[in-house]
Amino acid sequence: MSILAYNGGAVVAMKGKDCVAIATDKRYGIQAQTISANFPKVFQMGPTLYVGLPGLATDTQTVYQRLKFRMNLYELKENRIMRPNTFSAMLSNLLYERRFGPYFIEPVVAGLDPIDNKPYVCNMDLIGCPNEPEDFVVSGTCTDQLYGMCEALWEPNLSPDELFETISQALVNAADRDAISGWGAVVYIIEKDKITEKHVKTRMD
Amino acid sequence: MASERYSFSLTTFSPSGKLVQIEYALAAVAAGGTSVGIKASNGVVIATENKHKSSLYDEHSVNKVEMITGHIGMVYSGMGPDYRLLVAQARKTAQQYYLMYHEPIPTAQLVQRVATVMQEYTQSGGVRPFGVSLLVCGWDGGRPYLFQCDPSGAYFAWKATAMGKNFNNGKTFLEKRYTEELELDDAVHTAILTLKEGFEGAMTADNIEVGICDAAGFRRLEPAHVKDYLANIP
Amino acid sequence: MASILVPEIPAPGFSFENCQRNAFLEQKGFPAPKATKTGTTIVGIIYADGVILGADTRATENTVVSDKNCQKIHYLAGNMYCCGAGTAADTEMTTQTVASQLELQRLHTGRTVPVATAATLLKRMLFRYQGHIGAALVLGGVDRTGPHIYCIYPHGSVDKLPYATMGSGSLAAMAVFEARWKPDMNEEEGKKLVRDAIAAGIFNDLGSGSNVDLCVIRTTGPAQYLRTYEEANIKGKKQGSYRYPLGTTAVLKQRIIPLEVESVTVRPVQPMEVEASVSS
Repeated sequence: MSILAYNGGAVVAMKGKDCVAIATDKRYGIQAQTISANFPKVFQMGPTLYVGLPGLATDTQTVYQRLKFRMNLYELKENRIMRPNTFSAMLSNLLYERRFGPYFIEPVVAGLDPIDNKPYVCNMDLIGCPNEPEDFVVSGTCTDQLYGMCEALWEPNLSPDELFETISQALVNAADRDAISGWGAVVYIIEKDKITEKHVKTRMD
Repeated sequence: MASERYSFSLTTFSPSGKLVQIEYALAAVAAGGTSVGIKASNGVVIATENKHKSSLYDEHSVNKVEMITGHIGMVYSGMGPDYRLLVAQARKTAQQYYLMYHEPIPTAQLVQRVATVMQEYTQSGGVRPFGVSLLVCGWDGGRPYLFQCDPSGAYFAWKATAMGKNFNNGKTFLEKRYTEELELDDAVHTAILTLKEGFEGAMTADNIEVGICDAAGFRRLEPAHVKDYLANIP
Repeated sequence: MASILVPEIPAPGFSFENCQRNAFLEQKGFPAPKATKTGTTIVGIIYADGVILGADTRATENTVVSDKNCQKIHYLAGNMYCCGAGTAADTEMTTQTVASQLELQRLHTGRTVPVATAATLLKRMLFRYQGHIGAALVLGGVDRTGPHIYCIYPHGSVDKLPYATMGSGSLAAMAVFEARWKPDMNEEEGKKLVRDAIAAGIFNDLGSGSNVDLCVIRTTGPAQYLRTYEEANIKGKKQGSYRYPLGTTAVLKQRIIPLEVESVTVRPVQPMEVEASVSS
């Protein structure tokens, strides 16, 4: 079994029209045994910047702390907030430093550029190879299902409300076909003037 | 460096609270060739004299104005060999920043990091302070920047300044000439005039160097180009 | 310059701090997962006035296509580019590091860096890591000695050839080159040949797919990067829509975080309380 599937979890992010969304399940388990149904895997890194770190839970937390540390140093040194593509470059470097002893996470970055408000999504493999597509990115234990759902549901130029329905249904239905993801979900819709955090009803089995 | 337990820093406080080594370093700067920097509304210019003691020197083989990265350039007053080390370090810093964040280093960040290196040489064992002051010009975020960096590790943002030989006369001259809405072409003209203030002998395209930085990036002007500017100078 | 007073954060070089833990996990039956591979068909040829590089744009994680339009032709310097196959992160990071070293070399020497320098930097780096950095590269560029194509293998061996192919689709692409490459082709012939070689990879090798990227580097002028030179596989238009009506998803609770929209950020730079260049 892959160590990436030890704790379970799924994250997906999508671009909309002048908005982005990132969604995650809430489960934390040890293989088939569920420990918690409120385990954060998606973190707010800036006013309009979120990162999802699904994979081995211990590394989720370690990488989050290391990222926060480096980002705080950057923001204090330079007295400006970090742009999403800069954040991705930094995260990619953090992961590639451990090229020969990696952290077992496959991150997802979603945000709006603070300068031109352009939507940005990005995912990486565990040693930091970035992938910046025009539509959506997925990561976690049910990527196969998520790819299928997203390919079918995603359309260009979705409004924030439509984007919420699309990303929620993609995540909820994909996680239903994965035994170690689910147990509740959170969706963040990021717009330039507000962030909407919605806790979505899911199956609890 | 500082690997030996008995390698103390040479830069120690005098009873009156001064670091005389740093003051001597500033004296070395003040004895060096004059450098001028002026910030214009649409760019920055840095200029320096590059005079040779003998006519046998091969001009333009060694430059004082150097590019650090696409949008940042640098010049110095003081000791040439010390400057080389700082240029190499500054270029490396710029590349490291770019590799880490995939965006060009802001001029203020580069200056701060070079200044950090200069400060270390005032506190570490077995080394002496740098005998140079730097002028760093840059363009980022649609704005020009001009910084001066001293041997102590202190750095300053200027609208216009002069350093090296006769820097006081140069500064007084600039204070009279400087306006906020200066254009880059006029700034180059003013910079050359400032250099001329304390210039001994005839000024030619072969014994001064000019670098400019604007939205298109940093570049050192060719001698032929400098000649055109000199033609307009009385 | 290693700084004692102000240590670099992060420390330079690779970190091996997780290796012991990861080896232990492997012992317990959790082997390290596979990184993204590029699969890949990459090629390069010499033609009458320069070189042409070509690449497909598919990245895979095992059999899943993880990136449908990734960039495999990497910038090294104004006069040279490098195609990468193998572990995607390795090709990306290796070319970036070398591009950085080449830029330092260019500033230091004040002239265009020869292609041989890039080939040497790449092979030394790959040889140092004994094949653990899984980058297979086709390097192409021009300098004052003419056009050059190099093939660099993950263990650090190098071929210098007039035409080269690499990656899982290299056999398909080489078949096209062996049949049709000839010296001193013109640019149109060259681009057609490279396109056909990449297309052979895209359609005959499952690790390669999507679009054709080209990069033409002429001895006479600046390099021309032709991103998505040809969309070899055009996606069909979606006929229906699976859009869910608003309100389908049951929301348990909701929180809105309003953001203050800042339009301009101005940062005044405060001069420090030290006098400049004054020796008293």
